Amino acid sequence: MTRAPLGRSGWIGLVLWLVGVALCGWQIAHTRFSTDLSAFLPAAPDARQRVLIDQLKSGVAARTLLIGIDGGTREQRAAASRALAQRLNASGAFDQVLNGEHDALAAVGRWVFEHRYAISPAIDERRFRADGLREAIDDTLSLLGTPGGAAVKAILDRDPTGETMRIAEVAVGGGGPHSDDGIWVSRDGTRALLMVQSHADGSDLDAQARTLSVLRDAFAAAAPGLSLRMSGAPLFAVDSRAQIQSETRWLALAGSVVMGGLLLLAFASLGALAAAALPVATGVVAGIAAVSLVNGSVHGMTLGFGTTLIGEAVDYAIYYLIQAHGQAHSGDGVRAGWQHWLRSGWPTVRLGLLTSVCGFAALAFSGFPGLAQLGVFSIAGLIAAALTTRYVLTALLPQGARGVGFRHRLGRWAAAIVHHAPRARHLMSTLALAAIALIVWRHDRLWQTELSSLSPVSPQALALDAELRAELLAGDDRTLIAVRGGGDEAVLRAVEAVGARLDALAQQGRIAGYEAVTRWVPSAATQARRRAALPDSPTLQRELERATAGGSLSATRLQPFVQDVQRAREAPTVTPASLAGTAVAPLLAALWVPSGDGSTTALVPVFPATGASAESTQAAVREALRGIDGAQTLNIGDELRGLYQHYLGEAQTQALLGALAVVVLIALWLRSLPRLLAVCKPLAVAVLLVMGGFAALQAPLGILHLVGLLLVVAVGSNYALYLDMLHAQGSPDDDTLASLLLANLTTVLSFGLIAASGIPALSAIGRVVAPGALLALWLSAAYATPPQGASSTSH
Amino acid sequence: MPALDRRQLCVAMLALAGVRSAHAAFGFDELMATLAQRRSGEARFDEERFVSGLDQTLRSSGTLSFSAPDRLVRQTLKPRSESFIVEGNQLTLQRGDRVRRLALDNVPELAAMVTALRGTLSGDGSALRRYFNATVEGAAARWTLTLVPVDFRLLSTVRLLRIDGMHADVRVVELQLADGDRSVTTIEPLAPAKARTATP
Repeated sequence: MTRAPLGRSGWIGLVLWLVGVALCGWQIAHTRFSTDLSAFLPAAPDARQRVLIDQLKSGVAARTLLIGIDGGTREQRAAASRALAQRLNASGAFDQVLNGEHDALAAVGRWVFEHRYAISPAIDERRFRADGLREAIDDTLSLLGTPGGAAVKAILDRDPTGETMRIAEVAVGGGGPHSDDGIWVSRDGTRALLMVQSHADGSDLDAQARTLSVLRDAFAAAAPGLSLRMSGAPLFAVDSRAQIQSETRWLALAGSVVMGGLLLLAFASLGALAAAALPVATGVVAGIAAVSLVNGSVHGMTLGFGTTLIGEAVDYAIYYLIQAHGQAHSGDGVRAGWQHWLRSGWPTVRLGLLTSVCGFAALAFSGFPGLAQLGVFSIAGLIAAALTTRYVLTALLPQGARGVGFRHRLGRWAAAIVHHAPRARHLMSTLALAAIALIVWRHDRLWQTELSSLSPVSPQALALDAELRAELLAGDDRTLIAVRGGGDEAVLRAVEAVGARLDALAQQGRIAGYEAVTRWVPSAATQARRRAALPDSPTLQRELERATAGGSLSATRLQPFVQDVQRAREAPTVTPASLAGTAVAPLLAALWVPSGDGSTTALVPVFPATGASAESTQAAVREALRGIDGAQTLNIGDELRGLYQHYLGEAQTQALLGALAVVVLIALWLRSLPRLLAVCKPLAVAVLLVMGGFAALQAPLGILHLVGLLLVVAVGSNYALYLDMLHAQGSPDDDTLASLLLANLTTVLSFGLIAASGIPALSAIGRVVAPGALLALWLSAAYATPPQGASSTSH
Repeated sequence: MPALDRRQLCVAMLALAGVRSAHAAFGFDELMATLAQRRSGEARFDEERFVSGLDQTLRSSGTLSFSAPDRLVRQTLKPRSESFIVEGNQLTLQRGDRVRRLALDNVPELAAMVTALRGTLSGDGSALRRYFNATVEGAAARWTLTLVPVDFRLLSTVRLLRIDGMHADVRVVELQLADGDRSVTTIEPLAPAKARTATP
């Protein structure tokens, strides 16, 4: 068999391919690869959800780490907590280190003291007249001589009306973690707790990784022998990145080795192996370049999914290499193997490609950036792989693969399957009916409801996170009010209006309290009103003398107070911007969130009253806020679940549309209802059996399982179409059957590897596609019209 | 020699007897047992606070009420109305129209001070010993319980509490602060409680 010289079209194909690969390489070299968690968060939900997503992506939440110290004795944990806090503060890597020690709030206390006349809620016109002064001073004096009096006494001369105390009372509130020996501990007292905010931005994962190692080193030095339990978005992001990196590398390597081994067995030829790798490699390169072009950046996870492409792209090469070789021998001898294949095999591959593209096109419009990238990647990758097979492989190996290897044996096995599988037809149909019954019966528990099911974070890590969160933040299932408006001042005023309603709820005991930006930055209007209530020196002096007459505190020692009030009359207005760099800034970060569009959202977290449920708290708050424009009540847990439901619904619709497009395409091609049914039936049954299997195992299905099912249809349609074609032609030849079986083996193996991945998103796809693809081939054989009946099917 | 032995033995026995009788007469456990008999009570109180740097002694007065096991209400009537209500882990403070609610276990120092009062009134010895070193002097008819904080953090504000009482009645609570300030609260049981403990 002589090597046919490359024709003109062959050269053109090769050159175009080289240019294409070079262009893709150039694009990839200029691509930014991201590894943060954003791919698992929806892109553009409604405005209310965007607040939440912004928070999760880059807000305080993305910089907050929750820390538990386990082991040792109560005293050892307390000492470790103090030593750790001290080291973390000294490291400069953290904006805020909280472990319950009051000293940690000393700087905040000083700031509050300096600005007390701008931010104390008690200041009104009456406050600085004689009767108001007398009342306020009496209030302050009532604390003296009690254990709480020392703090008041130290600033009595400058703050006799107790404004600092008043601010502290509301700000500290009644909530917060349990405290033992001056530090935060878990409810059962066996774990010391800390909460820290990194200085580094949440999206800067390299900086976050450095911050984490600073923390680990500090812990090792501060608490030898104790164990560190850590959680929070920065840790998840850094760990996920490490995991994604190592897993994609591992999967790519293992996938290549397994696939290479299988192909070597089948072809016994290194050349064939290299040829089979060509469409795959081209597909991966084109996929990355396409995602980079469309999205601007490529998520590390997309590369992980890329390994799934090996499974389908290598099929094209297998079909060509085996079938072209077989046809070169059985053909008329005039035309080369590739010319035969272009007439017999290629149309089916092309149709299979089109059906896959239809399936993935549905994904490309997904609201989840991760899924959209996967869609774009797969479409571009599969098209590139198919074109490479069509134009490059045909040019390089015009007679297909020469080696024989196992392929004859594969052919015999495949023929045996085709021969025997139809006997299991009724069994399969019965199983499919059972699966339908099971799916209908369990329809309410069939689907996952938590957004976390998309996240690459392990269930154990999430459990620890929930534990720490419940202790430190009273859980995530809490009520949050988002306040928006035009301009900072408008937002601040709206927050003040919200605060007034919440104060009433707190007084009634229906909520424990709340946090609000206006505790630290009142609106300019409020500050102006308070400033106007501050009298000038002579007036204050006169009122003070009347107020203190016959009392325990003489007006003469209160001169520092009079001076401070004068200073406050001239002090500039406190604004969110003026807080930058102060001790209060970290407190503000969680409450005052600038959005991308230049506007700002104020967040007001509400603490439920002891024993109150999240629902009743939320209902009370919603009711109280009626009529305030721009204020929306959200429950973080509910919103996230709602978000997931929304995208699950969207993905279901897209998957159905994708599947429908596949069916329409096949129908247009076959133009025969019986053949259409013969092709679609095995695919539908495969999907049903996989879903039924998940239902039987009580493993709920998520969005990524849905993607997997779509892949089953995409890959499986190739098998079904081939078997249909073979039967339509008459007797199936062993070579084509061998190529089908080999293609199926590579798919099942590559997705089997993915199923073993530690990344839930990847393993979900693998667990669906590996059994689904196997079933699809088996069922295609089972439902294919027997050869002897071929003449009766329309042609 | 035997005479000497016998004399020594007598001294030893006397000494032992003395110790035992003093112990049997009145100790911490006996005081707690006495206090535990009382299930509820109402009283008037007068408080004087001596604060350095102030021109006058600060005075206040009002009513106290306790019902076992854990409800304690201190209602200040003069110089202005103010209430302090603890029930279980919940503390409610009301002054004028402002209400604050606190969980005691979030503020350990406060929990200790509430335990000092509530533990004494209910005779809960183990609760008292968790936060304080307790010593008792005197007899059932007139006793003094001294509580010194165990925790150094609390000790840096509160030097000690001295509680004087007669039988199951608490009569005087003196609080000495680390900075030298102190308060003395005199308690006058109201009629129903008095009937049970009047006999000296």
